Amino acid sequence: MSTVSVHGVGTSHFGRQPERDLVALAWDAVREAFADADVTGVDAVWVGTVFGPPGVAQRVLRAMGVTGIPVITVENACASGTTAFLEAHEAVRTGRYGRVLALGIEQMSTAFAGAITPEPTDPEGRSGLALPALYAMAAARYLYDGAVTPAQLAAVSVKNHAHALHNPRAQYAGHHTVEEVLGSRMIADPLTLLQCCPTSDGAAAAVLAPASGGSREVGVRAVALRSGAPWNHRSPHVWGHDVVRDTAAEAFAAAGLDAVSDLDVAEVHDAFTIGEIVTTEALGLVAPGEGGKAAESGVTALGGTRPVNPSGGLLSRGHPLGATGLAQLAEIVWQLRGEAGRRQVDGARLGLVETMGGGVSVLDGNACVVAVLEAP
Amino acid sequence: MGGVSAPGGPDPRPQVSPGADGGGVVDGRRCRSCDEVSAFAWPACPACGGAVDPASFGPFGTVWSATVVRIPVPGRPPPYRLAYVDLDDGPRVLAHVVTDPTADRVLPAPVGGRVRLLPTTDDGDLLVEVVPA
Ligand SMILES: [Zn+2]
Repeated sequence: MSTVSVHGVGTSHFGRQPERDLVALAWDAVREAFADADVTGVDAVWVGTVFGPPGVAQRVLRAMGVTGIPVITVENACASGTTAFLEAHEAVRTGRYGRVLALGIEQMSTAFAGAITPEPTDPEGRSGLALPALYAMAAARYLYDGAVTPAQLAAVSVKNHAHALHNPRAQYAGHHTVEEVLGSRMIADPLTLLQCCPTSDGAAAAVLAPASGGSREVGVRAVALRSGAPWNHRSPHVWGHDVVRDTAAEAFAAAGLDAVSDLDVAEVHDAFTIGEIVTTEALGLVAPGEGGKAAESGVTALGGTRPVNPSGGLLSRGHPLGATGLAQLAEIVWQLRGEAGRRQVDGARLGLVETMGGGVSVLDGNACVVAVLEAP
Repeated sequence: MGGVSAPGGPDPRPQVSPGADGGGVVDGRRCRSCDEVSAFAWPACPACGGAVDPASFGPFGTVWSATVVRIPVPGRPPPYRLAYVDLDDGPRVLAHVVTDPTADRVLPAPVGGRVRLLPTTDDGDLLVEVVPA
């Protein structure tokens, strides 16, 4: 068994890029990751994608000369990229392969005019439950319970759009006000347009290998994955809370984390504003019911005591589904190396990645992945 | 609520049978092992994998949460109202909510409010109406 490090990361730009194909987007990510790791090849590849057509992994890899080795494609909704990372990590840890590439790719702009079309073979998808509506009902319940205010929901969007001002790869960025966020077009009550992640194209990649003590290697302290148990009338929390909490508990135990407060920086799944609020509570970064207040008061902003989503998050960096988890990972790797520029969390030593995938009715999420990473 | 594009294959949504006074009841299942209730005629309990027996739920329930979808979804002109409804002694189901055609603006069903399950729409969606408290 080996201790595993991330030796290199890379990403494309994130945004609507219908004129570029997945070969071009993946090349941006892999070329950068290989250069970052100072390697020219790997022994195996795990690829995460949700809407990529059959064979897409081999199609993009052969265009860059990555052929003749095992290539495995995984799908776990929005957590597909981090699932690829988890599997790559396990392959290196157990010695199955020496050096492994985890790659996430997605092109949304050519597939959907707006929100993702609900899956018609799923009961709730067939009923017209677009994903914004699922998160909207979590937000509506939080409002009903007095666990958040509309202004606190909006504060997450304000914060993450401001963070992205310092991220040149982000799809959107801006100085918005709470009033602008709440006044933007209603998508699914109470979530407005600026509280929803955009339609994005992109790719992100990481090279994993045994730790060798290199000055730029970011250690993987732990990574855990769970799929959701039934979410129903007996569930004490909104959709997605419990699977995040349970996956995090597993990852934190495996990482030997003394306290969640030891984490210096986190990239979490803010596909919608309420997602970041529920997730920061489920992770234990903030107390139950404090997620909204933490966004509003700056606790989770850059410069706060618990900085969350310094990249801009899914809301602003963008959310190309299969690429998202590895985009989050790349951000944490840069943060832990001190390479994040004007969005750097000073002295970050321990970082967290959390990705949440949904879309199967009855379940509390298709999959959640939580990883804990450590500075060189 | 017409115009849902219907792909081939069996409808995955819960099946609803006529109930008293024009209401509807969900033809679901109850687990022999853990008592979990489900709105679906699936072969085993989603919570524990145990054997299940047929069970009916509804027509009354309480809105756990609700929204109005205001973006276009293929085959579904916006706006339309959705709610998660906890059927009395039964499962949580996703349902459409009857819209008052005289309302100025379509608003979500009140969270915590009482609703009654109706027969499914022509398109097969579960449908509830808000009932007075
Ligand atoms: Zn059971």
